[in-house]
Amino acid sequence: MLLEVGGLVKRYKTKDRQIVEAVRGIRFTLSAGAILAFLGPNGAGKTTTIKMIAGLVRPDDGDVTVEGHSLSGRSGQALRHLGAVLEGSRNLYWRLTPLENFEYWGGIRGLSRKTARDRGRELMREFGLEDKIGSTVQQLSRGMQQQVAICAALIHSPSLLLLDEPTLGLDLDASDRIQDYVLRLAHERGVGILLTTHQMEVAQTLADRISIIQNGVLTLEGLKEDVLARFTGSSYVFELAEAPSAEARLLADDLGAAWTGECEFRAVLDRPTDVYEIMRALEPCAVVRVMRETADLATVFREHTRKPVPVENIREVTA
Amino acid sequence: MLHALSAEWRREWVQLRRYPTELLSELAVIVLVFYGLFLGGSYMAGGAILGGRLSDIIVGYALWTLSMMSVGTMGWTISNEAQNGTLEQVFLSPYGAALILLLRNMANVVIGLLFTILTLFSVMAITGHYLFISPWDIVPGLLMIASATGLGYLVASVTILMKRSQQLLNLLQFILLFLIMAPTASLGGPWRWLAIMAPFSPVVALLRSMMTQGAALLGTGNWLLWSVVNAVLWLLIGLLVFAWAQKKARRRGNLSHY
Ligand SMILES: Nc1ncnc2c1ncn2[C@@H]1O[C@H](COP(=O)(O)OP(=O)(O)OP(=O)(O)O)[C@@H](O)[C@H]1O
Ligand SMILES: [Mg+2]
Repeated sequence: MLLEVGGLVKRYKTKDRQIVEAVRGIRFTLSAGAILAFLGPNGAGKTTTIKMIAGLVRPDDGDVTVEGHSLSGRSGQALRHLGAVLEGSRNLYWRLTPLENFEYWGGIRGLSRKTARDRGRELMREFGLEDKIGSTVQQLSRGMQQQVAICAALIHSPSLLLLDEPTLGLDLDASDRIQDYVLRLAHERGVGILLTTHQMEVAQTLADRISIIQNGVLTLEGLKEDVLARFTGSSYVFELAEAPSAEARLLADDLGAAWTGECEFRAVLDRPTDVYEIMRALEPCAVVRVMRETADLATVFREHTRKPVPVENIREVTA
Repeated sequence: MLHALSAEWRREWVQLRRYPTELLSELAVIVLVFYGLFLGGSYMAGGAILGGRLSDIIVGYALWTLSMMSVGTMGWTISNEAQNGTLEQVFLSPYGAALILLLRNMANVVIGLLFTILTLFSVMAITGHYLFISPWDIVPGLLMIASATGLGYLVASVTILMKRSQQLLNLLQFILLFLIMAPTASLGGPWRWLAIMAPFSPVVALLRSMMTQGAALLGTGNWLLWSVVNAVLWLLIGLLVFAWAQKKARRRGNLSHY
């Protein structure tokens, strides 16, 4: 197995001496060539988990192995197989060019100058950025910088790539390029990829497997198809004749409406007859169309995280 | 590991070349100081006995700046990389951060040394005073830089935990300057241990007896031995404390915070 994450626990001590239980007993595996999307609300523990896998945060309990090498203790072997682009960091020297960055980051991962340059050129070509290889990173657009950061993380040809919010704040074009590349990287080259994102379309396009983490606990895990199938048949689209009043809108919200426009929303219903309840809540505003549809990941995520984290689950892990 | 060293080396060069104003201002300072030393030296000595004394001063000054560089580089690197969002990538190196910092320090010292030598020769050419600097001075020089590197790891440890090191660095410079000026070598009794164990003390004694008394490297009593012991000791202390500080920062999860 490429990545094995076993029972990770992380409690942070904050400045005011409180304890934050950021991660409470997470276990999962990732095989070569698979893409796992790690989803969860802000503060759920995604970044903490990724940093524990990269050895940057030390877990209170549990272990991580990459290609069979443990990260606790002597982590060098595990780190050789791992590349990471971290959230909110530059991950690159802005005063250097992409090529100089590749030489440096390759060098401190044991690559010769020539190997690092050749590999860096090849990666930049795959992103269509070969003409940018000589400009300093600070001169590049935000999207290009992120693509170069991904190239740098791949310079030593790792078999595991960690991407913490890789498309955050990027325009559609840059985001699409990165998504295309990530798909090819996993499915053609067999690199295992663990990524976090708040953009459900991105996760839906990329992931083979989906994990949802809430309050430091994995509350949902499975193949993308299975996860999407969970709410298929109970997901509905409603279209209204006009924009409803604010009170009516709030009432519909209570029944699980997720608005996609002024006059349109989706909802997941336990029973088909709940349609009447929603219509009543919206009165006198007329519902002109109701359609059953297959759920998208955003709907699944919203619906799943609407319920509070099952308490017994937390107990089980912290006990 | 050689690839990592050459990567550090190249990175320094590239930055120097790309930002020549920083390079020039650094060079200007060295040139001015050396020129001043030469002028002052020849003025005081009436231009006649510009022999040993002046070269001692210059060697001493060069060693002091290189050592201070080694004390400060690693801590500065950590706070700088944390601010620039690259520190965590450095910590992802399979060689470990301690080694990467050491290599960066080495690259810095070598570049600093090259500058110093270059400037020295130019100033000698300009003033027409030629100094003889013994190649044996290299040995105490290296020992001094090794101790300084150990202190550098201590500063780096403080930086990684407290996120700032400037005050410590200032304080440390004063203490070290005191240790260099103080005649610790002539202390007796229990104080002798201080002369042996305090950072820089034995190597300064070694340099002094080599320079002012013209002693050969091996003819300085036990000062060479004590200098080696001292350098190894401070390097070890530095490495151990740095390993502990890294572990602590990883436990707190604030390696990259600034
Ligand atoms: N170094 C730290 N010290 C103290 N608390 C921390 C530290 N890092 C994270 N936390 C806390 O741990 C919890 C999990 O944070 P984490 O960054 O892992 O969440 P996340 O899922 O990545 O969130 P986001 O979607 O906002 O990126 C949060 O409550 C956060 O405030
Ligand atoms: Mg995060």
